[in-house]
Amino acid sequence: MRIQEAMTMYEKLNILTDAAKYDVACTSSGTERKSDGTGIGSCELSGICHSFSADGRCISLLKILFTNECIYDCKYCVNRRSNDVARASFTPDEVCTLTMEFYRRNYIEGLFLSSGILNSPDYTMELLYATLYRLRKEHHFQGYIHVKAIPGANQELIHRTGFLADRMSVNLELPTAESLRLLAPHKTRKNILAPMRLVQNRMSENKQEIQLYRNAPRFVPAGQSTQMIIGATPETDYQIIQVAESLYQKFELKRVFYSAFVHVNEDSALPARTGEGPPLLREHRLYQADWLLRYYHFQADELLSEENPNFNVVFDPKCNWALKHLEEFPVEVNRAEYKTLLRVPGIGYKSAVRIVKARRLGLLDFADLKKIGVVLKRALYFITCNGRMMYPTKIDEDYITRNLLSAGEKLPSEVTGMGYRQISLFDDVRFGNCSEMAL
Amino acid sequence: MKTVYVCNDTITGIFSGIYDAWKAGKGEEDCEIALRGMLDFQLFCDYVEVEETEHKAIAVEALIRKHLGEHAYGAIYHAAMSADKGKGDAVLGTMLAARQIPDSRKIMDHLGHPKVEKVFELGRNVFGEAHSYKGFLRFRELKNGVLYAEIAPKNQVLTCLAPHFADRLPVENWMIHDRNHKMFAVHEAGKRWVIVWGDKFDEKIFDDVSEKEEEYARLWAGFCRTIAIESRMNPKCQRQHLPYRYRSDMVEFTNYSNP
Repeated sequence: MRIQEAMTMYEKLNILTDAAKYDVACTSSGTERKSDGTGIGSCELSGICHSFSADGRCISLLKILFTNECIYDCKYCVNRRSNDVARASFTPDEVCTLTMEFYRRNYIEGLFLSSGILNSPDYTMELLYATLYRLRKEHHFQGYIHVKAIPGANQELIHRTGFLADRMSVNLELPTAESLRLLAPHKTRKNILAPMRLVQNRMSENKQEIQLYRNAPRFVPAGQSTQMIIGATPETDYQIIQVAESLYQKFELKRVFYSAFVHVNEDSALPARTGEGPPLLREHRLYQADWLLRYYHFQADELLSEENPNFNVVFDPKCNWALKHLEEFPVEVNRAEYKTLLRVPGIGYKSAVRIVKARRLGLLDFADLKKIGVVLKRALYFITCNGRMMYPTKIDEDYITRNLLSAGEKLPSEVTGMGYRQISLFDDVRFGNCSEMAL
Repeated sequence: MKTVYVCNDTITGIFSGIYDAWKAGKGEEDCEIALRGMLDFQLFCDYVEVEETEHKAIAVEALIRKHLGEHAYGAIYHAAMSADKGKGDAVLGTMLAARQIPDSRKIMDHLGHPKVEKVFELGRNVFGEAHSYKGFLRFRELKNGVLYAEIAPKNQVLTCLAPHFADRLPVENWMIHDRNHKMFAVHEAGKRWVIVWGDKFDEKIFDDVSEKEEEYARLWAGFCRTIAIESRMNPKCQRQHLPYRYRSDMVEFTNYSNP
């Protein structure tokens, strides 16, 4: 028999927030919706951050689990059934009240509802659906809702929930089917991909419905996303971005999130605990590469290969790519195509757009580029303005590497804090040998 | 001789100044718009007090909208809300520069021009601050059910914030107080929002919060504390995204941060 005191709202929220904090996505972007004047809520296309937590991550949505009473035993998860942690569940009404009251005070942009598996996937999905239904239809909430689709739940339920949510996501959990079998014995790759495909198909049908009937209800208007854990299993960066690329191409995902593995459980199937903390730099490099795939027209194969399967610690993926493809540089800023400009280190997609617009009204020189927002201390090795480089430089990998490093290229703390190093006359970064370091 | 048009730091004031300078047919070199209270007196200048009227402001607004387009008007409007004292001059300079190029509607792409660049920069700055406040502003519920928020922005962002919240909370009575500029945006449920100027009011009314208010503030502060992952602590990153100046009016950083 279980004897339990009734929990206060504060304790419940505490437990279920703590359980949800490892979920990565907290974006509220992708939908634009005006209020219809009856209820409260609207959505901005760009998304709005409402606060930032002490770990520097944005708080935009009320990110909670519906319940952490989970029947699964995933090795990496803090809520696995074999862990002895405090358990709690919300009721749909409690979630609705919290969301509405927080939203009125402008604490949040909407709700991010995820859940452990209570009793069965169907049972859990029904609860999530009930919550969203009340929030939308009884409280007339028109803000942002991100909800997890529970793998293995009835298709009809997922389908209906999709009409109430702005974004849906199914967690891929781990990059390969093999790892999933090892660490999440109750989940299968097939079960995860099925709802993803369902949402994708329904979204493309919905696009046509909306073209025909302007006021047709919208299905997951902000698209779907997924997330995977990095560093719990031995996949290389190359494998991971290939998975991400195929998710973008085959499943038309809006975002793939990466979450550096945080040690919360002791288990023989998990990597041994080290003193270094989660692999944050690796996560950072993966996000950088992810942006290159989505906004900079790069392919996964260009960034990494079988022989060279992991990202450079010192340089970001784009800079690294440029250093390996010096034959394509320098680029003439006043004439180069937009897509070529995108590949120059130090030019982001916003500055590239501004360059293309501004050069129609006159020739640009380096001072103009600086105003436009180009990071010249990086770009100067790769561009010419009116046929001239900013300073006389060599197009040589070693030379550029050395200069980028000594010009105060912002090095990640993982590199600068590597600890002591044997001093030798010949491996100073400024004298030779640096090509090895840049590998 | 150079003419300096002196006007008040409001949209009506600045646009009236521009109207007078424009009417006088001055070139970029021989006129300047200066703001009352932020004057740097120079030698060899005529100082002219601008007579401010709604009519002039509306005329300038229509002129910009018609010839420079909505996009440029957005940038100029935001720039005029900035705390920078050279803003009036930058706007006038941009309008004069637009006459020089073949398609005036493309003026905001002409970032090589210093005045255009300044308008762009100021507009972006104001827009950025307004966008931050859309998230960082916190309402508290008063005894009478009114939602009240206090902010202390550098730029005059109320006219950017009010439409956002009017759309978001149409069925609520709410009020945003800009302490720095002594302005209020007031919204009554189901009606349009208005701006009120003033600094004489009974502050006690705003401290008299509703019964539930404290409970929700406590829940929220608890949520913000719990959501952070200990092994990823990064206060520097937090500070970059959410500078200290915003935090004094945010409930999760004030009353309930150390229970």
